[in-house]
Amino acid sequence: MAQPRVFLVDDHELIRSGIRSELAGSVDIVGEADEVEAAIELISERLPDVVLLDVHMPNGGGLAVLRALNGTCPSVRFLALSVSDASEDVIGIIRAGARGYVTKNISGPDLLDSIYRVAAGDAVFSPRLAGFVLDAFSLEGKTLEAGDVDPDLDLLTPRERQVLRLIARGYSYRDIATELEISTKTVESHVSSVLRKLQLSNRHQLTHWASERHLN
Amino acid sequence: MKISFFEGGDVTATFPSRAIIGRPIRPYRRGVENDILGGVCGGLAIRLGVKERTVRVVFSLLALLSGVGLMLYMLIWLTLPRAGEEQSIATQLVGKRRKLRHILLGLLVIAAIAWFLASLGVPNLGVFTWPLWLSLLAAFGVWKGASPDERRHLEELLKAAPLIGRAASRDKRNFWLRVALGAILVFFGLRILRHFGGAWGFAAPALFGTLVLLVGVLILLAPWWLTTLDDLSGERRARMRVEERANVAAHLHDSVLQTLTLIERSAGDEAAVTRLARNQERELRVWLFDPDRAEAGTATTYGSLLRDLQGEIENDYGVTIELVTVGDCDADERIIALVAAAREAVINAAQWSNAPTVALYGEVGTDSIELFVRDLGRGFDVEAVPSDRRGIALSIDQRMQLHGGTATIKSIIGAGTEVQLTLPRTP
Repeated sequence: MAQPRVFLVDDHELIRSGIRSELAGSVDIVGEADEVEAAIELISERLPDVVLLDVHMPNGGGLAVLRALNGTCPSVRFLALSVSDASEDVIGIIRAGARGYVTKNISGPDLLDSIYRVAAGDAVFSPRLAGFVLDAFSLEGKTLEAGDVDPDLDLLTPRERQVLRLIARGYSYRDIATELEISTKTVESHVSSVLRKLQLSNRHQLTHWASERHLN
Repeated sequence: MKISFFEGGDVTATFPSRAIIGRPIRPYRRGVENDILGGVCGGLAIRLGVKERTVRVVFSLLALLSGVGLMLYMLIWLTLPRAGEEQSIATQLVGKRRKLRHILLGLLVIAAIAWFLASLGVPNLGVFTWPLWLSLLAAFGVWKGASPDERRHLEELLKAAPLIGRAASRDKRNFWLRVALGAILVFFGLRILRHFGGAWGFAAPALFGTLVLLVGVLILLAPWWLTTLDDLSGERRARMRVEERANVAAHLHDSVLQTLTLIERSAGDEAAVTRLARNQERELRVWLFDPDRAEAGTATTYGSLLRDLQGEIENDYGVTIELVTVGDCDADERIIALVAAAREAVINAAQWSNAPTVALYGEVGTDSIELFVRDLGRGFDVEAVPSDRRGIALSIDQRMQLHGGTATIKSIIGAGTEVQLTLPRTP
């Protein structure tokens, strides 16, 4: 696979230069931006494969970038990069279309791995993100009413739940594949389907979860 | 509230069973501790040394008779300083031109309404109603001129009033209570009107008049009411912002700045810098995302116990603990035991596995509480550990069994160890 074309969006010069030096030689960095407006303009002009997107920036942050570009450049994939730990922020950015979330203290090789994964169309779930998602889809406190739930969309299958729990427990995709006696590809497809559910589902459970956390 | 009953004595009595007798005569002030509305009756009771209830009954009777009692009450409210305050509301109002203008305007409006009603031919505008009008004006003055302290008291009063304060509440009981009360009042009102005027002959125009009056008053007073509320909330918002800012600044100074100084001073020592940074990060996360925990000071839930554990081990052993929690519940004795068992597993991993990070995962399910401790370290042969060195495995196991839970240890040499602890939610 050719080196993915990567675009950096972060309002901190130090972070950008850190990432640049860590990724140098392994990916093709096609540009960077330190604020929302410039990011939207440059990304839609250069159409990179992967955008490393800071969640917290002035003027709406990563969410504003995602919302502005959502639908207009389907080939561009976003990987959220943040120090934030608020589950609302993380789930919010995933729901807006990011294909993964990693924290800024991720090691260089892990970041590279995540970028390649996102470039290939897969989802990147860190243990923390898996925990947030399990929380969001949690069955607890759920009040089911008839006709309220589209089961295909709103519920995780037992297998998907299993995969997420293993991610949260610190298993790599390969470990999960071994543990569940399935292929790594299958693990990836489970994770992708969780991501899809997270992005498409706007119904009961996530609404409940969101309102509990004063989201939206 | 408890007060000393005798000078110098240690006998205490619960206030306000009886006003104090035999004290040096104090100036008449509106009561603060024993007030219901403005503290007029309470203050008078203290001054006269009689029961508050007596004073209240007298005032209520006066109010029923032509409203003179009400007017008297309002007048005293306006002109008498509150206990512990220098100026009466009236003095304050006179001192503030802007507020005084509002009052004069209010007087004009009330006069206009009275005139309007008189010109409509609504009867009873004579000696029986003017105390009510004056009282209304006085109430307006009280609202405008009350000291911040008293204002707060009034707001609480409004909020606590069962039918006003909870008007917006969707509580069903409240709704039906209001409907029932309203219906009873309407029924009796009609009965009274009929008693006076016979059938609808008198009631209809009177009802219409009342409606017109109410709408008129609403339309006239609404803007003032709204601006008053707006001023108030604006003021409060500004105050809250300032307080918030001061809090954040204080916190940043106490924790973050201190840590940064420490990091500068130990710049050469990589382990120390990492530890300090991790420590600060954890502390900041708790402060940002778990305010209840930050407030409480001690861990009271499963999740916060695990976060404390994470902090402790990271500090003592210099490893990174990747903690993920799903769901949370209050910590009881069994959960404390579960976390204690987990602590041994984590320490074991931190000490012997050689792995730089340990994954700690806690989940609260509907039936059980689970905890996983996993490292990618050197692992060991679970069966081959000599029985005298099985202390850790044993003690984890025993702790769990004692509370109806189970412990499972899986380990592969060279690939790591995972300890699973499960505790049913009900023993």
